[in-house]
Amino acid sequence: MKVLEEVDATTGKEVQGYKDLRTLLPALEANGQLLRVTKDISPEPGVRGYLRAASAMENDGPAVMFNNVVGYRGKQLLINTHGSWANLALIFGRKRQTPVQDLFYDLSDRWDRYPGEVKWVKNAPCQEHVIKENINLYDILPLVRINPFDAGFFLSKASVISRDVTDPDTFDTQNIGMYRIQVQGPDTVGLQALPFHDMGIHLKRAEELNKPLPVAICLGAPPTVSFFASSCLAYDESEYKFVGALNGEPLEVTKALTTDLDVPAYSEYVLEGYVIPRQRFPEGPFGEFPGSYSGVRAQNRIKITAVTHRTNPIMETLYIGRPWTEHDCIDGLATSITLYKQLRQTMPEVTALNATFNHGLTVIIATKNRFGGFAKSVAFRLASTPHGVSYAKNIILVDHDVDPFNFTAVMTALSTRVRADKDVAIITNTPGMPLDPSSEPPGMGNKLIIDATTPAPPDAVLREVRMVDPVPSAKEAEVIIRKFQEEFLKKK
Amino acid sequence: MKCIRCDDDGVRQVAKAPDGSNAWEVFYCEHCNFSWRSSEEPEVLTPEKRPAFFQLKGVDLTNLLQPCPIPPLKVTEG
Repeated sequence: MKVLEEVDATTGKEVQGYKDLRTLLPALEANGQLLRVTKDISPEPGVRGYLRAASAMENDGPAVMFNNVVGYRGKQLLINTHGSWANLALIFGRKRQTPVQDLFYDLSDRWDRYPGEVKWVKNAPCQEHVIKENINLYDILPLVRINPFDAGFFLSKASVISRDVTDPDTFDTQNIGMYRIQVQGPDTVGLQALPFHDMGIHLKRAEELNKPLPVAICLGAPPTVSFFASSCLAYDESEYKFVGALNGEPLEVTKALTTDLDVPAYSEYVLEGYVIPRQRFPEGPFGEFPGSYSGVRAQNRIKITAVTHRTNPIMETLYIGRPWTEHDCIDGLATSITLYKQLRQTMPEVTALNATFNHGLTVIIATKNRFGGFAKSVAFRLASTPHGVSYAKNIILVDHDVDPFNFTAVMTALSTRVRADKDVAIITNTPGMPLDPSSEPPGMGNKLIIDATTPAPPDAVLREVRMVDPVPSAKEAEVIIRKFQEEFLKKK
Repeated sequence: MKCIRCDDDGVRQVAKAPDGSNAWEVFYCEHCNFSWRSSEEPEVLTPEKRPAFFQLKGVDLTNLLQPCPIPPLKVTEG
């Protein structure tokens, strides 16, 4: 399976990924996937309106670039870059109309090229400008209150880099994760990284030794870096090497100025600093991926000691709240493929996996049913992956030839394959995802397993049925119908 | 000036519109970490109009849920 279809206008080469946001923008623009808003617009509620509207357009919502946000005139703010399947396809060199399952398989194939290469460079663009004195994030960054009752201005699309202070020389455990960050004063920010996140491990090890944990926060990171920051790779898998693998060329990084961290050389902004050890500060609420606001919690705080940025930097923000949002798109596909790969290590019967709903609180797995009850074992395996432990609370199993990204196909499987008395199981008192309002106390939950696969022996099989076959001549007919519709719309 | 959310006095101005337009100012509460821009909607800026659910007046902020508990200190050798 392949098919890289985008060709770089300047080099004539096939595109597999983009080294930075700036080289992506012309490709989005050429496909009608970048709207430039040049008129004056208020940060609230003006930009918020675009954040909500563009990210609700799941299939083809465009990125939107602002350069005249009132009070921040001249600063560039980009939203919804990864906010639709069309944009994600373009980011990875595919046509904008690529079906989600095709994109899933294409990226999944490229996943197997891990480890890709990482290249260290000096005089990186992300360090063209350096601010170390009188840092004021409210002045430097075009900030927006994303949802009206958020506790402040959040950095919602930040790739946060950290290392294990007890093992600082191991490159692969250096973590790049997307965590929510609340600006709390000119040079301090609040951070939510939870114990089951990779950064949660780094936080714990630093706090056990009462050591500040150095961090770098990238805003406007290269598109593939943001994608992997949203993934749930194993602790010792390197996000940077995955970026190199998927892009088909080395990822360029550089050393941060004040710490030993490696930062993407083509990030638009990098905030450097450290987590203050063994102290907590009020953080939140924040409109989150379950569609509800999180509570006010005692969370970590980062002191910012340097800000570096490119000339005319591009700030990125994503909308998060009631789905569909940019968070669902960027996080959804990265999570789906990561879990798919983890399952297939021991269960090659798994053929596809959809974890795009609420960060994988509900997961649909397509699998061959090797023998009676096998599908339920696949669910147990998912529930024991690092992400599945706390997130995957509703696990739906469908047959291997059902597209888990197709709502109609999944509903048909539920409607025609499930007999609740034997196909539904509930495992109580398991870990839960604290942001899920049904996780009570926050962090506890349960697992619901619905086996909608066709039973296999020795399980009692379905009464014998004959499935209605696909119609081969439909493909040709579909092309004619689509062409008719496109021509009709052009005439209008 | 008092905090819109927790009613504390520890509020300070932390920014003015950086483009020099004087379009707005940003305020920050040292007590509850709430921040706001003077140009936001009345539903956000007026304590009486904000849903009570989001207000923190009188709430003990030293006793909040701690998603990442502070671990015991490890004693290192030497």
